[in-house]
Amino acid sequence: MKSSRRRFIKAAAAGGVAYAFGRTAETIHAQMSAVGGFADYKALVCLFLFGGNDSWNMLVPTSSAEYNAYARSRGGTTGAGLALERAALLPITPLGRLPGDPGFGFHPSMAGVRELFDRGRLAVVANVGPLLRPTTKAAYQTAAATGHPLPPQLFSHNDQQDQWHSLRGRIVSKTGWAGRVADIMNSRVGDQQLSLNVSLAGQTYFQAGEIARPYVMGAAGAATFSGLASSGAGLARRSAVESMLNSALRSTTNTVYERGYAEVQRRAVAAADRVNGALAAARDFTALPTTGATLSALQTQLRTVAKLIAARETLGVSRQIFFVSAGGFDQHDDQMADQPGLLGNVSAAIKSFHDALSEMGMENAVTLFTQSDFGRTLTSNGDGSDHAWGGIQLVAGGAVLGGRVYGEYPLLELGSALDVGGGRFIPTTSADQYAATLATWFGVATQDLPTIAPNIQAFSRQSLGFMV
Amino acid sequence: MWRVLCVSGLFALAACGGGSESPATSATTATGTAPPSAAAVVSTTDAYRFLNQATFGATEASAVALIAGGTQETAYARWIDDQIRQPVSLLLPAVEAAYPNPVPSNFNVGSLNAVRLETWFQNAVRGEDQLRQRLAYAWSQILVVSQIGALTNLPNATADFHDLLARNAFGNYRELLESVTLHPAMGVYLSMLGNQRAVTGTSLRPDENYAREMMQLFTIGLSELNADGTPRRDASGLLVPTYDQDVIEGFARVFTGWRWACPSTIPSCTFNNTRPQIAPLPGYNQIKPMQLFEAQHEPGEKQLLRYPGVALSGGILPPNQGGSADLKAALDNVFNHPNVGPFIAKQLIQKLVTSNPSPAYVQRVAARFDNDGRGIRGNLEAVVRAILLDTEARSTPPAEFAQVAGKVKEPILRLTQLWREFAAVSASGRFGAARNFTGGATAVFGQAQGTAPSVFNYYSPFYAPPGEITDRNLLAPELQLATENLNTQTANFFWTQVTARTHLNTARLNADDMYIDVSRELTLASDADALIALLAKRLLGDAALLPAELRSTIKTEIERTAVPATNPTNALATRVGDAMYLLLTSPSYALQR
Repeated sequence: MKSSRRRFIKAAAAGGVAYAFGRTAETIHAQMSAVGGFADYKALVCLFLFGGNDSWNMLVPTSSAEYNAYARSRGGTTGAGLALERAALLPITPLGRLPGDPGFGFHPSMAGVRELFDRGRLAVVANVGPLLRPTTKAAYQTAAATGHPLPPQLFSHNDQQDQWHSLRGRIVSKTGWAGRVADIMNSRVGDQQLSLNVSLAGQTYFQAGEIARPYVMGAAGAATFSGLASSGAGLARRSAVESMLNSALRSTTNTVYERGYAEVQRRAVAAADRVNGALAAARDFTALPTTGATLSALQTQLRTVAKLIAARETLGVSRQIFFVSAGGFDQHDDQMADQPGLLGNVSAAIKSFHDALSEMGMENAVTLFTQSDFGRTLTSNGDGSDHAWGGIQLVAGGAVLGGRVYGEYPLLELGSALDVGGGRFIPTTSADQYAATLATWFGVATQDLPTIAPNIQAFSRQSLGFMV
Repeated sequence: MWRVLCVSGLFALAACGGGSESPATSATTATGTAPPSAAAVVSTTDAYRFLNQATFGATEASAVALIAGGTQETAYARWIDDQIRQPVSLLLPAVEAAYPNPVPSNFNVGSLNAVRLETWFQNAVRGEDQLRQRLAYAWSQILVVSQIGALTNLPNATADFHDLLARNAFGNYRELLESVTLHPAMGVYLSMLGNQRAVTGTSLRPDENYAREMMQLFTIGLSELNADGTPRRDASGLLVPTYDQDVIEGFARVFTGWRWACPSTIPSCTFNNTRPQIAPLPGYNQIKPMQLFEAQHEPGEKQLLRYPGVALSGGILPPNQGGSADLKAALDNVFNHPNVGPFIAKQLIQKLVTSNPSPAYVQRVAARFDNDGRGIRGNLEAVVRAILLDTEARSTPPAEFAQVAGKVKEPILRLTQLWREFAAVSASGRFGAARNFTGGATAVFGQAQGTAPSVFNYYSPFYAPPGEITDRNLLAPELQLATENLNTQTANFFWTQVTARTHLNTARLNADDMYIDVSRELTLASDADALIALLAKRLLGDAALLPAELRSTIKTEIERTAVPATNPTNALATRVGDAMYLLLTSPSYALQR
């Protein structure tokens, strides 16, 4: 078939070894690693905050002029206003702060994040978002006439999620940047028994590659197939299932739908026992306990991630990108009532995950980073905010040069040079630069960065400098 | 793509059809009558295909009834006629009946969402108004509200919203759109309820949520479409956005001043004080359209959509018309946008018939939306007939499109089809109670009713998995729910159903556990070929549709279990369970032709 021939050519070129035609992509990759893997283990954990996080309230300027601008823009701290009380903020002193730079404070619910920041294990990236090239307000306003490229459908949830996932700008692409990282790295990660990309939160473009596919698990782990086993009747049944799926994949007279379904099913059958066995044997963590405490949905996902990291040798993995998520951030309504819970959950999860990693001495090997559809309007709609653009993201881990605010934290004033209306700010750091910085740490070579971050060359800095 | 053979003389607005070469299709007038033409019998395969498009799962009995209704030219249309006449199955009455009387102050109202979901399962599996319910389910995935989030403690509103979709399945889209806009479930879910005008001297401005999602998801989408549903591109090859921020703000200002209905005679009936009533007392406002409080309605001029033929000059709504007039004019403005026909047509086709319709098919259906043949725009009955009676839905695809015809069955339909055909029931009479699903139906199948994670539904209508489907520029939205996790959960559900939840197991089951009747299978189980033939016939419509290799695999599996002469029941049950497990988890069953 045409498509598998194309995959074969790509795979063979990457590995430089000739193979007989007709093998599946999986067997090609399994055999390509003469000397497998990286010597060290690294993992990226993408925490996606679905809905568009109101991130100006995550880290708020505390110096008078900057705080007052913020409070004014947000309509004050009472009634319909969205500003936080200055006294309630958790103050930090960022490294590299010069006299005259503003001070900052985290949202009152984010004590865990603040502690990691103080210990240099967490960085803030300010005013970052999808951007195809540096953009001024004038360029934004005249873009239709001048052709200045902007990400399409700014302010649309699914389009901006796609932009963060794929960095595709205006080109048509069905791959995400984590998928492309996996494609590039597949020849080097040896005989990994688990996909480089693993999702605890469903299927997204983020982890779709040309060849690489994510393994999608439930938040609490991989389910085993009832009725299938490694001996006796269960084994016979398993063989029957595999036979059924293989013949569907080989067929040239069935439909793309049957083949698409069979492909996932076969991966599921192949991986379930392996992953579950590894998880069952993996250690527990005090910071993310299995019993005796109720974890949030996000913490449950991160606990499974921690266990998979603990099981890395059993699974034979040296590079992983995990995808976890939290929802409910589309705060058009009841923002001041809901935000403490939302951000408190994020903070507690990031902190407890970091602590769990420390329990096994892996905190330097794992970097967690947030992404979100967009930031939100400074202005209030009565009890919430609406869709905007640039916002703040967090990066946490032992390899992070933390305790700093990267990028340019803007003056949060309505009508400023970055405000394109209602307190929607043009990003001054691009999602491409953000991704490129993470990918470089992960092991992507500089010459491969444009594949990961297609717009990176429009920006003067390929690395934002927040990783070691 | 597929060519439609037109008999000369048919008027332009009707779908062409009736030629002797094409066994299907009729001219789709508003009343659904077909021109006389060559009669051809509806085969069981054809009947299953239609019923899997138009119901919650084809069954032997319903196929027999459909086939008895006429020929290719008449049976389908008659079936649709009959379906429209069926009384509407509802969700709200069961939810209302579940309240204790009187309602204690600490009553967990959110628990009644489970009653809603069980009632929906019952309607889906047992309801006579199958087409209407299937359409309501499709609409519920376009006009999304969910019990997840702000509606958790408003189960009556959520239930009544679904009933609204069911009642309007054969109505008019303009009316449906207005009813949806003013339904408090939608008002709460997309925050139009309580949205208020800007306050001068402050930066306070109206909430844009409903304005944005109404246009993006319910009516016109993000970019301009051709009449055949393909995107229009400008001279540089870029998509053409349908609206900009000004239009968002214009609609946001229209959707101001609406809140919970209340009687104006009582002093607390003010914009800020009106509240949802929880207990289902007569005339309670949880299910009443939202009420306008003019003082909170934005009176100024509003920029709405501009398009060829737009009624409002420059797309601008003049100031000071009042909230009701503004609402109607704004909904007219969006309803008449040329995108609506192809936008709605393509999504309904994708929910019912195929993930990859030809542009011509979309165009035929969109044209029917634009004009039902009697000058009416938005006639959903006409649209449904256009979709289901079109040649692309009814005739065998040409060879070069055979691999692309049809779609992945929505995961929940794999369940409802099984329960329909095998007379699933529980001892208590509760239908699809939560304990049947580990973690809930949504955790097992990736979808249920009214439990979407966001207004973007359980899965994206634009999804294509990496690999062959993406490489060929095709879509398979339902495969976004085919993850390793969900496929495992679903397979395990079927395993439990066929090995431990049959009529043989009732003594050991909980009263709410759903069990199926496999007595016919047990009778044949000592003959592997006969067992396979019966199951394939019941689940696929025709044993010939079972791929030969799969038949052989199932047979080998069945025959591993020897049937003893005495006490054969366990062995026979094992054989039936093995065969059904393979068939229910097979790609063949996952396919909707």
